[in-house]
Amino acid sequence: MALVARKPIQIFIAVQKALFWRELGMRFSTSKTGLFWTFFAPFFQVFVFSVIRGAVLHHDTPYSYPLFMAVGFIAFNFFTAISIKSMGAFEANRGLFVYKQVKPIDTIIGRALVELYITSIIIVAFLAIGFYAGEEIVPQNIPMLVVGFFWLMIFGIGVGTLLAVGNTFFPAIGKLISVSTILLMFASALFYSVETLPPFAREIVLYNPLTHFMEMLHAAYIRELDDRFVDYEYMLLWTLGVLYFGLWFYRKLEERIISQ
Amino acid sequence: MIRLENVTKYFPTKNGRRYILRDVSITIPSGVNLGILGRNGAGKSTLMRMLGHIEFPNRGRIVSEHTFSWPLGLRGGFVGNMTGRANVKFVCRLYGLDNEEIEKVIGYVREFSELGDYFEMPIKTYSSGMKSRLSFGLSLAFDFDYLLIDETLSVGDSRFKKKSKEALMKKIESCNVLLVSHEMKTLRELCESGIVLDNGEMTYYDKIEEAIDAYNEINKKAS
Repeated sequence: MALVARKPIQIFIAVQKALFWRELGMRFSTSKTGLFWTFFAPFFQVFVFSVIRGAVLHHDTPYSYPLFMAVGFIAFNFFTAISIKSMGAFEANRGLFVYKQVKPIDTIIGRALVELYITSIIIVAFLAIGFYAGEEIVPQNIPMLVVGFFWLMIFGIGVGTLLAVGNTFFPAIGKLISVSTILLMFASALFYSVETLPPFAREIVLYNPLTHFMEMLHAAYIRELDDRFVDYEYMLLWTLGVLYFGLWFYRKLEERIISQ
Repeated sequence: MIRLENVTKYFPTKNGRRYILRDVSITIPSGVNLGILGRNGAGKSTLMRMLGHIEFPNRGRIVSEHTFSWPLGLRGGFVGNMTGRANVKFVCRLYGLDNEEIEKVIGYVREFSELGDYFEMPIKTYSSGMKSRLSFGLSLAFDFDYLLIDETLSVGDSRFKKKSKEALMKKIESCNVLLVSHEMKTLRELCESGIVLDNGEMTYYDKIEEAIDAYNEINKKAS
């Protein structure tokens, strides 16, 4: 095959396409249980937390609580799949760096795009089931919801890059982060809204940037909720911060990661 | 033309830096097939990787207007739990081929590599010889200016070796090869010129015979 000279952006797009189909192919062909769990996890999580909540609290929310949680869990799983699971991306894809077109960070971006694709399918599945079950499932503010998911993806790529670079040189980071995922789940306003918390607890969870993302997405989806606790500047600061440091370290260490 | 400008490459070891290239400036003319000679650890593979842009000099730079293949070695460059076909597809996509071109490459590689049913099986079930066959077949499917080949010709049974060599002979009518090999016979057959790596220095010889003589001289001195 004749090879034509390509611009860097063309190479980037070709690499992303290749990684996308490869990752998707691997998910669908190699690990059937993994794939099943990807789609089943949010349903399971919603079910479990609905039962727990039903047992602990007896008062009703003015909106559909399973729907509230579905939004939270889908978004949270989306974020962790991009950021936390990117930690091992360099190691897992080392074999691909023999092709000079593939830069380590491509594997993180590729993973994020696959997650975006899979999450879209999950959302559609949820909507279909909700519609069938007669829940009021149409999002209140669709553009805001889309913006929220994209923003969360970019934030996830920033965090993922930072973790992946860090983990390459200090593997202890990986272990620490894996443990803290569950803590993060409880501290991110996934299955409760900030409004229902006492003031001192509000202050604490609002230090967590993910809380703001969750509140934003909940507000975008559910008519009865608003974004009064969401600090968009704070979210932006975090996003730019992790991207800046992530990319800065990455640029410094890219060649070492490739040839390690 | 491949030009090295003040290239220094070393690896840090416990006993200080081990130099592969020490401030080397050299220009290698285009259009010749090059054999790369050197003792174990002299940095032949590292040089290949630098030309393939997956290893980088500590100082200086390597300039060339040519395209280089990925370094073809025993290690492959494949993903274990994907099939041979999927891996071939992946590489084709990296190089921006469209679907029609991809099908052509797949057809060619499947036939050349003689993998049979294994072509549809995960790479992790392959022997190292099978991996090399796939990798070699795949690299022949693209028109690089230079093929970077690291000892891969020495794998497989003698019949496949012969076939590989013939395919490569045909291929280098339209492209060039940079070949690392310890088999002087192969080097003489395929290469006109040679490079000898020794102790941080790199010397270019117009005639492969001269390179082989220089290499033998180094070996004699060492023993």
